[in-house]
Amino acid sequence: MHSTLLALLLQATLPPFPAVAVDAFPPAARREISTVQREASARPDDVEAVGRYAKTLHAWDLWQPAHDVYTRLQHLDPKSFEWQYLDGVALQRLARHADAANAFREALARSPEYLPARVKHAEALFDAGRIDESEALFAALVKEPAAEPAAEAGLGRVAAARGRHELAVKHLERAVALFPELGAAHYTLARSYRALGRTDDARRALALHEQYGPRWPAIEDDVLARVAPLRDDPRARIRSGVKLAEEGDLAGAIAAHEAALAQDPSLADAHGNLISLYGRTDNWAKAEKHYRAALASGVNLSDVHYDHGVLLAMQEQWDAAADAYRRALEANPLHAHARNNLGQVLERQTKFADAADEYRRALEAQPGFRLARFNLGRMLIGLGKPTEAVAELEKIREPRDAEAPRYLFALSVAHVRAGNRAEGIKWAEDAKQLAIGFGQRELAAAIDRDLASLK
Amino acid sequence: MRAVLLLIATCAAAAVAAPEPPLFVESAAATGLDFTHVNGATGLYYMPEVMGSGAALFDYDGDGDLDVFLVQSGAFESGSSSPTARLFRNDLTSGRLRFTDVTTRAGVGLRAYGMGAAAGDYDNDGDVDLFVTSFGPDIMFRNNGDGTFTDVTREAGVSDPLWSSSAAFVDYDRDGDLDLFVANYVDFTVAGNKLCHDSVGARDYCTPRAYRPVPDRLYRNEGGGRFVNVTEAAGISKADGSGLGVSVGDYNGDGWLDVYVANDATPNQLWINRHDGTFVDEGLLSGAAVNAAGNPEASMGIASGDFDADGDEDLFVTNIVGETFVLYANDGHGSFEDARVRTRIARPTAAMTGFGTHWFDYDNDGWLDLFVANGAVSIIEQQRGEPIPYRMKNQLFRNTGKKTFDETTTPGGPAFERAEVSRGAAFGDVDNDGDIDVVVTNNNGPVRLLLNQAGGRHHWLQVRLEQGPGNRFGFGARVGIERAGKPTIWRRVKTDGSYLSASDVRVHAGLGDAAKVDAVVVQWPDGQRERWVDQAADRLVTLRRGTGRQDQK
Repeated sequence: MHSTLLALLLQATLPPFPAVAVDAFPPAARREISTVQREASARPDDVEAVGRYAKTLHAWDLWQPAHDVYTRLQHLDPKSFEWQYLDGVALQRLARHADAANAFREALARSPEYLPARVKHAEALFDAGRIDESEALFAALVKEPAAEPAAEAGLGRVAAARGRHELAVKHLERAVALFPELGAAHYTLARSYRALGRTDDARRALALHEQYGPRWPAIEDDVLARVAPLRDDPRARIRSGVKLAEEGDLAGAIAAHEAALAQDPSLADAHGNLISLYGRTDNWAKAEKHYRAALASGVNLSDVHYDHGVLLAMQEQWDAAADAYRRALEANPLHAHARNNLGQVLERQTKFADAADEYRRALEAQPGFRLARFNLGRMLIGLGKPTEAVAELEKIREPRDAEAPRYLFALSVAHVRAGNRAEGIKWAEDAKQLAIGFGQRELAAAIDRDLASLK
Repeated sequence: MRAVLLLIATCAAAAVAAPEPPLFVESAAATGLDFTHVNGATGLYYMPEVMGSGAALFDYDGDGDLDVFLVQSGAFESGSSSPTARLFRNDLTSGRLRFTDVTTRAGVGLRAYGMGAAAGDYDNDGDVDLFVTSFGPDIMFRNNGDGTFTDVTREAGVSDPLWSSSAAFVDYDRDGDLDLFVANYVDFTVAGNKLCHDSVGARDYCTPRAYRPVPDRLYRNEGGGRFVNVTEAAGISKADGSGLGVSVGDYNGDGWLDVYVANDATPNQLWINRHDGTFVDEGLLSGAAVNAAGNPEASMGIASGDFDADGDEDLFVTNIVGETFVLYANDGHGSFEDARVRTRIARPTAAMTGFGTHWFDYDNDGWLDLFVANGAVSIIEQQRGEPIPYRMKNQLFRNTGKKTFDETTTPGGPAFERAEVSRGAAFGDVDNDGDIDVVVTNNNGPVRLLLNQAGGRHHWLQVRLEQGPGNRFGFGARVGIERAGKPTIWRRVKTDGSYLSASDVRVHAGLGDAAKVDAVVVQWPDGQRERWVDQAADRLVTLRRGTGRQDQK
């Protein structure tokens, strides 16, 4: 009697089975999602079947449907950590931070030590404006080595939000000492430095924020790691291939793209990516084959021609490369990289004035394109216009990153040619020190030789 | 006793059941505002298809009521059959609100893939000119003062082939004429169209990350109807971004006009005026460029105004679904706090993609409220398979006066129940009844005119400025409205902000219960201040420079 009543009560409170209208999905998504949906709808109270359905929706970034199914799972399997936790992740993606915090709290009630959930709980509370609760959690997380950078960054953000910038700086400096690429911490650090009147420090921190962007210290998350493999379609393979390429695994990247094309030969972006991937492995024939295929697709022609131009330039087929860049520019006259590369080919062909013109046009399209400005500066020096060169090269003195030494060296040469010897020596010294700092020994030696002759 | 209880119950039920009148009534068709935007969608998902278009609310014929210019997009290969932009004359002076299509007579039947509009008297001849941005060269229409316009793009020197979005007239160098800032978006071309997909692999519009941002433009007005491109000299080219929204204000409180640009998926820029004709981007350091975690957001439309009545200009920026809209609260010195959570803006906007927006006091209670025109740019799951799967409801938020907002979309009325793909929004008192109405443009859909029904509950004042032959309408001036025992209401004279749209240049202020104003203070664009005391409420007052008392700050 009791169990029947409980079952009835459960049915009464159980959220309805959430079905997703898969008919309008493309074939791969329809196939994968409809399979698990069918199984789950046949056994709507079966945790395993409904769980697979929820996680598959999650894997396809269908956050709202995934949240709906996780909600049902929380009723079917109330003691489970997994559904609460994954629901919290989905809710974060829906920007429902207060709800996400509640989900993480419930998850942690079931598995209090799961580190990724503890970090996410603290972050969700902060994003929901519940700063005091967030602070307490971050303070506890500082003792966990894997979470320490995120926890220090969190404490820094909490202090900054309260206007306690000295304390914020202390936490944030610790965070970036532990994980130098923590872009968000550099950003908050810059804001706190500014509030304290430390403007130069603020600008340096901003440059690091710009350099590292959203990079974040990864914390191993076994529960979440089991979700992504539930999606196995050509687009997922391309995404994986792009990620592998970013990590430097060219063979893996090529294999992932080829596997995607084996499933769907019409994927224009896979062909497009393979032009440069094969190019980078010197497999010209394969690269050419994928160039033809990408061209036939009729989309993204400017990048397709541009990639082909790079490919041809790598083979030192300069005339053909120039033609490819021109075709890229026909499709998109604002393609700054195609302009810059065309300028470099023209430079090789000793057409210096034309090259300078292409660099100028690259800069019209993209004024912040430092390499194009450097090239323009060099050309102007070569064309006997050192004063104009100085004006251009002055604009790329900052930021003082690994590219800066050669830019400063060019600025030094321009000054010398313009008759400003002292300025030339000053910038050459600066360039040399910076080159040494970045371990660019050959450049430093070249600058040294130049300095010796100047002095 | 039972009968009494029954009566009370009946009365209570009646009280509950009696519907509140809607705050706004949609009246486009009823007033003759007959316009449907055409995006020319080809099935190839060209990015401009989903971005436009905008509107301008301005008094082109100087008869004291607001006319409506509606930007058209049309086909990518425009031919003689392509629909054109339209100008509708407001015939309110004849006694009732009615619009007449005067496009042909006015000569503004533009065939271009239009995006937005900016309105301002760039040639200082006393009438309002029109600048139209487009996917392709922009267009400047000079108002001839006789109900017609002339395309003076070439003479003005403002034709630019980059894909432009919003634009703003601003006298940044204080030389007495209006200069022009144009936000440009990305380097999309038809031939360079890319293939993008949504999360389930269906073809969808690309995000701006698929393309490269192109630089914005600043044109200095040289007089004589000519502008010079000073983008590089002014330092504007030092940072680029995918620009969609532009707003002018004095964000660091130094008395000079700055420019804020909302960039889609790249950090927003806060161009601080250095008083020497140049600007420096302080967006990131100011805190108004990215979210609190340091990540750029989709940033489309901008509302710039003093929502908390502390005397500085705060920024509200619309974002994409999954981000929430953001309110950047200004500390008065150009440092901003991401206040989206504490102001209760975040939660009701998490599932929205917003475009046109504005601070406006719809109920005239003295506090700036918010309207947001919403519409997705990528397929909404529940609408997948429908012809236009990007529809969303617009939103209304009421300022509680306690630095928080309550969503009042439902009391807004049936006009807010309709889900469409809204983009531009222009604000102004279209029927001259003392409250602010809204013109909303819809992508590939009909224009909407939301007539405000809520303003009559409180007092109000509208101010129109006039100064000498330069910058006649006082663009950039600040108007302070002083009421006994209440904080001064500060408003800026401007037509920019929102998304792709231009709003009424007249300053509007709700006064709450105050039937009179102690004084109106005007801080002119050159920094001089004047004061006019004892102004009666519930009227439009024109303040001419030199007729008030000199005022010390």
